[in-house]
Amino acid sequence: MDSVQLAHLLRRTEYVARTNRMTELAAVTRSEAVDNILNATTPVAIPAYIDHDIDGEGYDQWVFSVQWWIDRMVDSPRPMQERMAFFWHGHFCSGWDKVNSARAMMEQNALFRDSAFGNFRTMTHTMSVQTAMLIYLDNLDNVKTSPNQNFARELMELFTIGVVDQNGQPTYTENDVSAAAAAWTGHGIDWNTDLYKFWSGDHDNTLKSFMGVVPLRNWNGPDIINYLLQENLAKKMVACKFLSKKLWEHFAYEGPSNTIINSLAQVLYDNDFSIKPWVKAMLMRDEFYGAAATQGLVRSPLEFIVNLMYFTGYRGAQLNPQWYVEGMGQVPFNPPNVAGWKTNSYWVNTSVFGSRAEFARNATWRLRQNDANQVGLGRTPAQAVDFVAAMLGLTTNGLSLSTVTRNAMVNFVTASRTQESAGSWWENTNLLTMMMLTPEFHVA
Amino acid sequence: MLDPDISTADALRLLTIPVVDRSDDPLGMDRRRFLQMMGWGVGAGALMGGLGETLAADLLPGRLREAFATTPVGPNEGILVLLGQFGGSDGLNIVVPYANGLYYQQHGDISVPANQALHLNSQVGLHPNLPYLKSLYDAGQVAVMQGVGYPDPDLSHFTSMALWMYGRAGNGIPNSGWVGRWLDGLNGDDPFRAATVGQGLPLHLVGVNKRGIAIPQWGVGFGGDPDDYEHRQQQWMYTGMRNFASASAGRGKWHDSIASAMKGVIDVGQQVAPVFAAELPDNDLAKKMTVAARLINADLGMRVIDTGQDGYDNHSSEPQELGQLLTDFDNALQLFFATLRPEFRSRVTIMTYSEFGRTSWSNDSSGTDHGTANNQFIIGPSVRGGLYGAQPSLVGLDQWDRMPFNVDFRSLYATVLDRWLGGGASTVLGADYEQFDVFRSLPGVVPGVVTFPPPGGSAGFVPLSPVRILDTRGPLGGHDRPFATGEAWSLPVRGLNGVPADAVAVVVNLTGAGATADTFLTAWRSGEGMPDTSNVNVAANGAVPNLAVIGIGADGAISVFNSAGASHVLADLIGYFREGTADTTALTSLMPSRLLDTRDGTGGRNEVFGAANEFDLQVTGRGGVPEGCAAAVLNVTIAGATGDTYLTVWPSGEGQPTTSSLNAGPGQTCANLVISKLGADGKVRIRNERGTAHVLVDVAGYFVVGTAGRYIPVAPRRIIDTRSGIGVAKARIGSDPLSVLIAGANGLPSSGIAAVQVNLTAVSPSQDTFLTVFPSGNAVPNASNLNLKAGGVRANSVIARLGADGRIMVVCGQGNTDVLVDVVGYFTV
Repeated sequence: MDSVQLAHLLRRTEYVARTNRMTELAAVTRSEAVDNILNATTPVAIPAYIDHDIDGEGYDQWVFSVQWWIDRMVDSPRPMQERMAFFWHGHFCSGWDKVNSARAMMEQNALFRDSAFGNFRTMTHTMSVQTAMLIYLDNLDNVKTSPNQNFARELMELFTIGVVDQNGQPTYTENDVSAAAAAWTGHGIDWNTDLYKFWSGDHDNTLKSFMGVVPLRNWNGPDIINYLLQENLAKKMVACKFLSKKLWEHFAYEGPSNTIINSLAQVLYDNDFSIKPWVKAMLMRDEFYGAAATQGLVRSPLEFIVNLMYFTGYRGAQLNPQWYVEGMGQVPFNPPNVAGWKTNSYWVNTSVFGSRAEFARNATWRLRQNDANQVGLGRTPAQAVDFVAAMLGLTTNGLSLSTVTRNAMVNFVTASRTQESAGSWWENTNLLTMMMLTPEFHVA
Repeated sequence: MLDPDISTADALRLLTIPVVDRSDDPLGMDRRRFLQMMGWGVGAGALMGGLGETLAADLLPGRLREAFATTPVGPNEGILVLLGQFGGSDGLNIVVPYANGLYYQQHGDISVPANQALHLNSQVGLHPNLPYLKSLYDAGQVAVMQGVGYPDPDLSHFTSMALWMYGRAGNGIPNSGWVGRWLDGLNGDDPFRAATVGQGLPLHLVGVNKRGIAIPQWGVGFGGDPDDYEHRQQQWMYTGMRNFASASAGRGKWHDSIASAMKGVIDVGQQVAPVFAAELPDNDLAKKMTVAARLINADLGMRVIDTGQDGYDNHSSEPQELGQLLTDFDNALQLFFATLRPEFRSRVTIMTYSEFGRTSWSNDSSGTDHGTANNQFIIGPSVRGGLYGAQPSLVGLDQWDRMPFNVDFRSLYATVLDRWLGGGASTVLGADYEQFDVFRSLPGVVPGVVTFPPPGGSAGFVPLSPVRILDTRGPLGGHDRPFATGEAWSLPVRGLNGVPADAVAVVVNLTGAGATADTFLTAWRSGEGMPDTSNVNVAANGAVPNLAVIGIGADGAISVFNSAGASHVLADLIGYFREGTADTTALTSLMPSRLLDTRDGTGGRNEVFGAANEFDLQVTGRGGVPEGCAAAVLNVTIAGATGDTYLTVWPSGEGQPTTSSLNAGPGQTCANLVISKLGADGKVRIRNERGTAHVLVDVAGYFVVGTAGRYIPVAPRRIIDTRSGIGVAKARIGSDPLSVLIAGANGLPSSGIAAVQVNLTAVSPSQDTFLTVFPSGNAVPNASNLNLKAGGVRANSVIARLGADGRIMVVCGQGNTDVLVDVVGYFTV
């Protein structure tokens, strides 16, 4: 496989085009490379530490979990597994603060990881009755005498079929939300175990009108999932298209053509929601390697953090990403709302970029304490700039600094040297910080 | 696409819980220090008061690099603060229909009891946790927009919020917002015109061609280093990084967008960093609203500031959750107005929004589900308070028990766009919507600037023997506790000490004492909007008086406001103005002259006042004051006091009243305007309470029975502010007198004014100094009106005769200073 395309594929699936992976996959076909990337090991054990409650508020466990997860993104043998887990985290959102249970959040996290390439319908069933989701979208309060629609609505709007289909037609009505909520009544939690329990006395056993199905049925919660993702073939296809668009926009670029969406949707449909062939179909498409894709996505804050960690060698315990993620706009385990994170313009504004700069400076403060990082010493301004660009992987496998960026940095070094000695402490520090904040380092 | 930013408060809470030591952090920082560096303000226990004058000093013109120069908001441009209540607020529990049995039937155990609601009329009342909002409503500054919604409501948070932010009719996913499209229509490309305080830029601030900026509530770090020699290396780096955006890199639009965002980080950092210099409150909304007020104070040119509060999606435990949210809301609102500098008050309006209301029937989780019609507030001194629209009906509910709406939310947008932001509603909104007459005055025009009493009415002065009518250190006056931050309170005066029913204004010596923070007091006619002026500036722990002439409201009261911290307030009644002619007196103003100076023997005394020392000063027959006059206008100065003390001035021959005329601390020199009735011998008695001090007395006028020289109070209005360029160029004044046009300006008549009463404030003089006000066309007299220390803030009331050209002159005795002039009233020829 062409090394430029392979590097792009690795950056999009494994965050970074790691040297060892580039070597490992240098001689194989696109199909073989994709299979290798998607070949992850399951299950991954939940770390015991999360049950070790130090301060009673869960903050320490949250910090641990953030660092543990981000470190896995950097170091696990198949980082695409973590990347897909994060995709599902942003899809089936639950928030640590509302759920208020490290165990419940990490059980959900384990589901996302272990099912990353599993079956979407199976995962939806499991996710629906895990403690985290039962709390996050209030289904534990959904009882027949007083339905709570929160989960039932989002199950359709955000998790499966969307508000409107590809043609802009509504996919469900308020009446369907009402019926789905009734179907999910009684699916709650047993507080003795903190685990799911079906409280039959709270369940609405009446016949309900859902999606116009006649004769009326006594729908139960899981029936709703099965109807949308299995029984009603039209809705199944709507869901496949809804998910395919989201997948493509997460990994390739915004606004894919209907041709792309429909073709991915067909793969998902034909494989009855098996995830791996669907993701492979995306990674096999030529559009995935075009300029629209290579220039089409801004790195999310976590993708930026993972890259910075990989190239500097620091890990979560040193760089404390948990202090910066809110400022950057992406707090793992605490999505902004049930719709999860968006892409591109969501990440690019003065507010969140300030926090990326703070994080870069945080890494630089460590780097500059090492004499080996006197990057300006003994180099001309241009050499110094190119050296630092190479340190961050911006000069190989089809990447390079743009003329605008390179000139700005060379001019900076030149100006600095009119007043300070070459390779001064400040020059080194600023060169490293600036390179981490070039647009090149944030679009990849 | 849209960012209701729901997790902010939650993550903030998570991040402020103390954790284990992290001695291996960058720079060896512990978590606490780190958070402080990031501006999270750990340990900021007490709420921060107004930023006061330090910010103005930090943002003095000339200190900013030209490259980031901003266009200040014009004196007649409105500023809109959008305050989101994310999650869909339960309007029925915020504006409670307490007289409607259906409400109690449908809301059940989560309803607000009728006797707890803060009644606005016989039908509706505010949630009990909104006392400050209620006080603003009572002051006529809150428009309650009832039954706000839209046709074919969508019950998804995201879709409905998108529609609200879009602000046009139609479905589908919008890609621009109403404020953004308003920005599109403005000339130029000033990045500071619209900002959100928070993370992420919400859709409504994104236009087709222009967009607002986002400023995190915890401050800017990177990009905020000062532009000085010490930080030159950072400045070189910033220059280099700005150049990433010097041209398109040819790598696609996202590459260029990132370069622009990075440049924006630096530009905004350079400009905004001073706003975060002082501590911020811990509470998330309080922090955001304080930042919003400081951004306005900094005068960066912001016209729209957006921020919000998360957590209104109360599907369960609504009484507790909503109660806390509204407490936070009310506190933040109060803090906002306390932080806002007075000169911006008449240019700021707040409008709330929320993606939808909630169901009128509660659910069994003690909550409510997504609904439709809701109530919103439009708040500010320029707002015509009251109830608009109609409370959503609880009968004839739509499908799924949703309330029908009465007012389209786009009508609110149309109203503020056309009537507050300068127009463009039909273009921005793509249609014409009904508008509401919710503004009683244009931006920058102090409400009710027309003179009162109604044209033609002038009033004569009736001097009284001074009597204390309010002392918050005890029960006197009915307010037996200090004024809280942002508290406004009405003091009844009609009937007190013989103030008759037809009195139109009282003369009161107002003292702020023992304040816990630097603060100012404002006094005005009860029932009117609070003016953007101030009467007394008090430094923390100080005691400062000032004479005020205050219109009496229809309810027979005057209103008093304290801006920051807790402060005791004392009021001494000196006299009143009434329209009747029988027993009233009129003013004859004089060129100021000195009647007493114990330092040189002027006035017959050349020794300091000792403790409990009294002295009778002859007033009549001197400085142009005739025999037989009733009262005199004096400016009394205390110089070189050896300790905390106060002076009392009263008519000779009468018993000593329990009042004070001016206060001073050790080593201070302070002045205050004193209007005093004279004794039968034409004298006033002056008593010093403690320590020793020199005393100076200047006379500026006298009152005799007659019909000329009658007083006409006006709604207080700031006519000069050298800090922001109101009425004059932005430049401090020094020994070159500032000429201030009084006659024919600012709504005052062009002829017939003998003297004007102004409140004069000096801000941050370069050295210890004094100010003198005198009629134009004259030499600077040997007199003074105001004394203060370098860097301080002080105010004094001044009654000044006009020169032949209708002007007064203000001169600074030593060094230079910023000056504010507020007009309070005038005396006829």
